[in-house]
Amino acid sequence: MTKYIVRRALGLIPLLLGIVIISFALMKLAPGGPERQFNQNPRVTEAQIDAWLTRWCLEREPTPIGILREFSGWMGLYNCDTESFLSESGGLNVLPAFLGGGDNGILHGDLGISIVNARPVTDLILERVPATLILTSVALFLWVTFAVLLGVVAAVKRYSAFDQSVTFFAYVFYSLPTFWLGLMFIFVFAVTLHWFPAQGIVSPRDWPPFNTPQYWEAFGEDPIAAITDIGRHLILPVTVLVLVNIAGDSRFVRASMLEALNQDYVRTARAKGLPRRSVIMKHSFRNAMLPVVTNVALELPFLFSGAIVTETIFSWAGMGLLFIEGVNARDYFLLMGLILITSVLVIVFNLVADVVYAVVDPRIRYD
Amino acid sequence: MAETAHPAEPLHGELAQVAEIAAEEAGTQDFEVALESLNQWQLAWRRYKRHRLALIGSFFLMSMIAVAVVGPIIWPYNPNDIPGVTTPGGDPPTLNPIENIFGTDFGGRSVLQMVIVGARISVAVGLFTMLIATTIGVTVGALAGFAGGRLDGVLMRFVDLMLAIPFLFVILVAARFFGGGDPVTLIVIFGLLFWPGLSRLVRALYLSLREQEFVQAARAVGVSDLRITFRHILPNALGPIVVSATLIMAGAIVTEAFVSFLNFGIRATDVSWGNALSNSKGYLLQGNWWWPFFPGMALALTVIAVNFIGDGLRDALDPRSKE
Amino acid sequence: MSSVITATAAPAAAPNLPPPADTLLEVRDLRTYFHVMDGTVRAVDGVSYSIKRGQTLGIVGESGCGKSVTALTVMRLLDIPPAEIASGSVWFKGRDLLTYTDEQMRLVRGNEISMIFQEPMTSLNPVYTIGDQISEGVVLHQKLSKKAGLEKAIESLRLVGINNPERRVKQYPHEMSGGMRQRAMIAMALSCDPDLIIADEPTTALDVTIQAQILELIRKVQDETGAALMLITHDLGVVAETVQDVVVMYAGRVVEQGSVDEVLLAPKHPYTEGLIESIPSKGKRGQRLNVIKGTVANPFNLPKGCNFMPRCPYAFDPCPAHDPRIGDASPPDVACWLYTRAPGAGPPPKLRPRVPALEVGPS
Repeated sequence: MTKYIVRRALGLIPLLLGIVIISFALMKLAPGGPERQFNQNPRVTEAQIDAWLTRWCLEREPTPIGILREFSGWMGLYNCDTESFLSESGGLNVLPAFLGGGDNGILHGDLGISIVNARPVTDLILERVPATLILTSVALFLWVTFAVLLGVVAAVKRYSAFDQSVTFFAYVFYSLPTFWLGLMFIFVFAVTLHWFPAQGIVSPRDWPPFNTPQYWEAFGEDPIAAITDIGRHLILPVTVLVLVNIAGDSRFVRASMLEALNQDYVRTARAKGLPRRSVIMKHSFRNAMLPVVTNVALELPFLFSGAIVTETIFSWAGMGLLFIEGVNARDYFLLMGLILITSVLVIVFNLVADVVYAVVDPRIRYD
Repeated sequence: MAETAHPAEPLHGELAQVAEIAAEEAGTQDFEVALESLNQWQLAWRRYKRHRLALIGSFFLMSMIAVAVVGPIIWPYNPNDIPGVTTPGGDPPTLNPIENIFGTDFGGRSVLQMVIVGARISVAVGLFTMLIATTIGVTVGALAGFAGGRLDGVLMRFVDLMLAIPFLFVILVAARFFGGGDPVTLIVIFGLLFWPGLSRLVRALYLSLREQEFVQAARAVGVSDLRITFRHILPNALGPIVVSATLIMAGAIVTEAFVSFLNFGIRATDVSWGNALSNSKGYLLQGNWWWPFFPGMALALTVIAVNFIGDGLRDALDPRSKE
Repeated sequence: MSSVITATAAPAAAPNLPPPADTLLEVRDLRTYFHVMDGTVRAVDGVSYSIKRGQTLGIVGESGCGKSVTALTVMRLLDIPPAEIASGSVWFKGRDLLTYTDEQMRLVRGNEISMIFQEPMTSLNPVYTIGDQISEGVVLHQKLSKKAGLEKAIESLRLVGINNPERRVKQYPHEMSGGMRQRAMIAMALSCDPDLIIADEPTTALDVTIQAQILELIRKVQDETGAALMLITHDLGVVAETVQDVVVMYAGRVVEQGSVDEVLLAPKHPYTEGLIESIPSKGKRGQRLNVIKGTVANPFNLPKGCNFMPRCPYAFDPCPAHDPRIGDASPPDVACWLYTRAPGAGPPPKLRPRVPALEVGPS
């Protein structure tokens, strides 16, 4: 198994390289490069701009060599300050800093500077991750749990009124555009009924912005109130996410369970005199969950990249909203960084899904 | 958008045996039983007709297409015509005048007309994206699946790459940076980005179909590989392809709406359902619910209709479906 | 002398009494129908047979003749819609199983009657070990602890001739060959010491060489434990080797019954005759193989009169008009107008000379 994982991981390297190249190419092809954008931020000094332009090899006139240098610099192979493949301390730039290498480029965790905020992209992203994770993990957990419950019961009570209504609602909700549903929810529950807040992670009147030092200070003083406040803000976006995603997954669970219920080993189990419950839960359920587990594992990338729509509608300051802000502002480094990180996560989670499946299904053994 | 559900479920054990035998014998009886023989398309059509939701969906989609084509001709849209309103934020739905049955926007323009004009964009984007993406996806998938070997490896590596990058991220960036705010560039961008999933599916289909005997038979007769790929195997793979195509259409419609909503798609001065939602957002707090509601509803219903059709097609075209 | 009891013709007045104590299982006039979209299939249409304690009965017929459905009805394993047990009784140890509640049946299944199925690969759950699946039954019925259950499982595996049972017990079904899986299924069936074992086509899915081994095993096991055996198969060679009595079924009915010698060496019903004559054997080398002409009756559209008539080489006047029933037959072991005087019929045609193509081996 370990050999398989290692082999797969090694196989991912060309893919990662491809992603890096594409992210870079996408930004390079887009009109208006970072240089121009830097100039538009009033908080940035001329000296800073020059430093940055040098640090990332951002040539004023792009030539093929220039672009290649820029790419290597962005990657971290090439050091633009020393203008060579060696770092300031003289070692190979590609090595980690403590081994004498450089500290620039994605290989060293440096994703560039956000044009809009004049802050390192890495910091920006890390700052927004918790907000996204809170939203997406709560939603994912809830919809998977409910999807399994609904799907299993619907399969066991096939064609009953319960099953038919679940199927019907699944059809409908599965097709509803998330952003429309979100807007409608905001209108009904927030604007009209005033049950829940319409936007944001925290109530701006009572709390500092989320994930700032001031916020955590205030949090420490009254954690229960803080959590309640976040909770109230979570309800609408999570509900929207759950409703839309539960539909597809519950149908998948139902189909998987139905197939497991129709297998010959179910007949064998009944022939042994096992009670119906035991047959369903012990024999069918376990088998039905195999594809479901893989399916969920494949949905894990959603945790990071899935909430763009919801975050936009509800002004939820997470990674998705950060991305939109970046696109609006043509914040190239930010966009490259976000695309890179989320792609890497997708690939990693795909590998995780395969491993999980192999662990759970005794028939599968990778050698 | 969530994944598509699993294909149709099999029939119960013993009953399946009985029914299967009965079906076999029905075809081989010695005594006189009049059997009409239907080809697979006619059988599929029959099964499709039984799917109530799919029929409703088809009807709705046809109506929407009709509205999209004919509507703006009967009722031309003039963006400069701003009648003015009596209620700040927009007049609520009313029967008088009848054009304002869906209410108006902040300037007094009829929401009903927005729905009609927007339908054109949505339907066009949906249909053409589907056509382009399906063509590319099928071609790539068929070549990879049939040819195998190095071509397959290269193509699929590329597809893996495209699939690794989160879809919405790429679409947004591409629409904003390379799009021109008009439907045509949007269709091109979408068409170029919606196909990888389908190509994977087609490749899998081809991998299994190419081992079948009819392919060997065709080869033995001397049919060229290219011809086999497209004229022999493709009709057999059509079922899942058609279903995927409808999903692409639904996805394209929603994505266009979202991208326009963010003002990265159709330019804000043009009318699209997504734009309507975006422009009306601010007036929601003033109580104008009808401006975002009706275009959004049209969007939702269209997407639902397309999904119902897709589901009906899946059941109708899946040869294993026994319901 | 046959141990198979023939059901007597039952006008409504006769009471439905339990059979004598030495009869373990008696199926009496059982009818099981399936209600499908295209109509109603009479899968089992008035079938009767019985098995004494420790005896062996073979049920023979082509696919779709209802032999499996009979067994599943006895075990009450059918899904009730679309199936319907229209009438009849299944007497087991003096009680009618058809009157049992589901709870009561559960105590019988796997415990007093156990069943072995055709496909050992799909009949075993792929995600649990063999040991788990075998001990499941004993833990449930005999209230053993998991440990004791595992011990019993190891014992059972040893009984069925699997080497190294301690190791095998921890394996998964896909790690075993087809023959071994079937042995494991047999072990599972034996684990609670049942009085009756029903084996539904136990060797059909196996290689020919393994078939012989498994049949040998079934016989040995049945001998040693004293359990009765109902063996369902379409393969006449299998019944010849393994059972004492035979029931031949066609289109949901019993058409002939008797001891295995009687039925295979001197078949009476044209269908049985056809089955035997269609076996390729040494005596007929170089000649065309015999077949029974036509195909199995369409269950939705059974012919009027005798079900077998369209394919029968001896069909004569009464056959298209009257339905021969084994219950009304005289002699009572074959349902055919060749042997029973049909109302108002002329003399039956002459029978073809018989060449016993089947040699019944030493029992």
